[in-house]
Amino acid sequence: MVIRSLVAVIDDDESVRESLPDLLRELGFAVQAFSTAEEFLASDYIGQTRCLILDIAMPGMSGPDLQRELTLRRQEIPVVFITAHGDETVRPRLLEQGAVECLSKPFSDAALLRALNAAFRVS
Amino acid sequence: MPDGAVSLESILCTEELPNRPWRPPDHEKENSALVALTSALADSPRTILQTLADKVLEILHADSAGLSLLTKDEKRFYWAAIAGAWRPHIGGGTPRDFGPCGDVLDHNIPMLFTHWERRYPYLSTAMPLADEGLLVPFYVNGKAVGTIWAIAHNNRRKFDAEDLRLLESMSRFASAAYQAVKSIEDLKLEIAAREKAETELSELNDGLEAQVRVRTEELEQRNKQLADARARLAEEKLRLERSEAYMAEAQRLSHTGSWHLNVRTGELVWSQEFFAILGFDSEKTKPSYPLFLERIHPEDRSKFDQVRSAAIREKKDYEVEYRLLLPGGLTKYVHGIGHCSASQSADIEYIAAAMDITERKRAQEELRRSEAFLAEGQHLSRTGSFSWRVATDEITWSEQLYRIFGFDRGVPVTLELIGTRIHPEDLSAFEEQIERSRQDGSDVQLEFRLQMPDHSLKYLHTVAHGTRDQNGRLEYIGAVQDVTERRLSEEALSKVRSELAHVARVTSLGVLTASIAHEVNQPLSGIITNANTCLRMLAADPPNIDGARETARRTIRDGNRASEVITRLRGLFSKKDPTIESVDLNEATREVIVLSLSKLQGERVSLRTELADDLPLVTGDRVQLQQVILNLLQNASDAMSAVDGRPRTLLIKTERDERDHVLLTMQDAGVGFEPQNQDRLFEAFYSSKSGGMGIGLSVSRSIIEAHHGRLWAAPNDGPGATFAFSIPCRSECRTGAHSLGAIQTPAVTGGVQHVTRNL
Repeated sequence: MVIRSLVAVIDDDESVRESLPDLLRELGFAVQAFSTAEEFLASDYIGQTRCLILDIAMPGMSGPDLQRELTLRRQEIPVVFITAHGDETVRPRLLEQGAVECLSKPFSDAALLRALNAAFRVS
Repeated sequence: MPDGAVSLESILCTEELPNRPWRPPDHEKENSALVALTSALADSPRTILQTLADKVLEILHADSAGLSLLTKDEKRFYWAAIAGAWRPHIGGGTPRDFGPCGDVLDHNIPMLFTHWERRYPYLSTAMPLADEGLLVPFYVNGKAVGTIWAIAHNNRRKFDAEDLRLLESMSRFASAAYQAVKSIEDLKLEIAAREKAETELSELNDGLEAQVRVRTEELEQRNKQLADARARLAEEKLRLERSEAYMAEAQRLSHTGSWHLNVRTGELVWSQEFFAILGFDSEKTKPSYPLFLERIHPEDRSKFDQVRSAAIREKKDYEVEYRLLLPGGLTKYVHGIGHCSASQSADIEYIAAAMDITERKRAQEELRRSEAFLAEGQHLSRTGSFSWRVATDEITWSEQLYRIFGFDRGVPVTLELIGTRIHPEDLSAFEEQIERSRQDGSDVQLEFRLQMPDHSLKYLHTVAHGTRDQNGRLEYIGAVQDVTERRLSEEALSKVRSELAHVARVTSLGVLTASIAHEVNQPLSGIITNANTCLRMLAADPPNIDGARETARRTIRDGNRASEVITRLRGLFSKKDPTIESVDLNEATREVIVLSLSKLQGERVSLRTELADDLPLVTGDRVQLQQVILNLLQNASDAMSAVDGRPRTLLIKTERDERDHVLLTMQDAGVGFEPQNQDRLFEAFYSSKSGGMGIGLSVSRSIIEAHHGRLWAAPNDGPGATFAFSIPCRSECRTGAHSLGAIQTPAVTGGVQHVTRNL
């Protein structure tokens, strides 16, 4: 049996939490969705998670905040940011700070797959 | 007896009497005469002798009749009473020893004489001469004392025996009469003597009394003078006391003491107030110069002493200001005046006044300080003050105002001189304001620029208030503030603000766009992801139909969500429904003017309004109408911003036109527009302005047309353009409301934003 790598989706938008896990499963990943960064930190999945698909702007702890927190905890999980704000200035900064990719919503499945491949190549 | 005189016998004719024709005695006549005499004797004894003479004349029909009496010394006869022709001779007489009477008494018989002057020549002077004279003696106590006689002065009458008988009868009566008279005379004499004595005594007495009286009067006079003098003295004293009291009071009130010095004797007198000023007790202190000097402030002591000594040496007046330093540290300022006077005894005397001017000094000091404060305040606030007497054009400037205008202090200020500094473009507005102020005396608020000799500009803000004095003369008092820095910083600020507004607008558009994008991208993201998933599920072998159906359903749901987002956004940015109400266009216009005033002033637009008093209300949306007015005002102001060299005047006028429309016109002196472009002005996105979007006029026209009105533009005869709109003053509410709603969209898309920026 092939052990599927676990991808965690963290987004406050429900439609993303509904649609994205289905697509990821179709792509062959195990998926766990969280509505907030705090929820993810409190879960048991941190150690198993091979990749994070992380919304930038969320109530409470933002995506980059979580990334910093994980770095502090020495949990080096590759991060793919997703954002609905479509601000081109944000992306280079995030990449600089160690993100694998930053996707603007809406994004294609091809773009998502490329980002995930990159993430797993890193890890 | 004189020689040549005839003998007695030659003048006597007594013997003829018996031989003369006889006539019967007239007893009745005799009786009546005697009765008359008797009653006369009783009634008036003093005149009895004259009455007797009268009766003899009467009874004897004589020409003269009389009575001769022997004088006391018996040397003469005197004629005591005479009647008839000889009456004037009363008091005359004849000697005792040489005359007819003496002859009669010597012989003691009656005698008839004829022309007796022949023997007694002195009788020739008694005229008329006697032709015949009949004399009889009369006796008192047996002694002959006189004669009684009758005279005929011509020969028509010859005395006879009857005449003799009557005369003798009368002589008897005469004796009684004589006795009566004698006693009277004696009495009279006695009385006279007594009277004389009394008179003398009384005269003596009178003299004494008169002397006493004179002396008394003199004494009284003296007394009176003394009393007067005393009263005068008392009065003088009272007056002196009073004037001294007044003087003391006056000195007290005016804080002025005085002293008096006799230089030779050294006698020195201080007034009560002088004691008080020096802080000495007048009861316990003896005035002395060293004492006075001791009170003078040490720093002023030698100065005062020098001035005073020099004055005394040169016998001159002096005037000096000095300070006193009183025990306890109190300092007083004193103004001293000394007057030198040479008295009659050639003594040099000084009368000096010392006025305590401490309070005046303090007030002066405070005045000086507050003036300094004011000057400093004016300097710091760059505010000068002025007064302008309109009738005489007399202008007074504060120091700071000279500084602001860059004129030398003290140069006489005239309107002409002020005019030379004012920027040529502002001069006509300034002159208009001067003329208006002359007319109505209303308060002034004016901004104008100065062009300084170095070509720099100054912005001045003037506020003045007109007042009238009692005689109705107008005077303006005002302040002029140099607001150059403020104006420049305002301009800078305004520039920054408009840049900021631009940035803000761009930013908010960006934010809006981002927010719209975010709201839409979220569902879009879901849609696309679901669609991808759906495709993948359908492409799987075997196809996951149920999963595909589920994801397709979610796709539809997210599509609906995106649509909701758009609806929500539209609702968020849409304008509320227009409010229909009665609008006072004058009021609405005034509000817009108030909002724009500082902007208009900043652009040096001279605004004039002619708002009709009886303007009817219109029905419509007040805010929309104000947007139109504001837009027209903004356009007019912009059209004049490039205008230099002529006044930037703007006239806003409201009136009611003949078709029951309310008409608002706005006439500017701006750059105007080409007639061929007249129609294009109201097209959206057409603009003659470099920074304009061409939305305002098009929106404005929509608003006015929604109010059933008309908006148009026309070039002026002179420079500039006139924009106007008219709307019916009784527009129908319902259709109005409906059509107002119809302009909602253009108002939102362009007009509102454009107008809002102007606000």
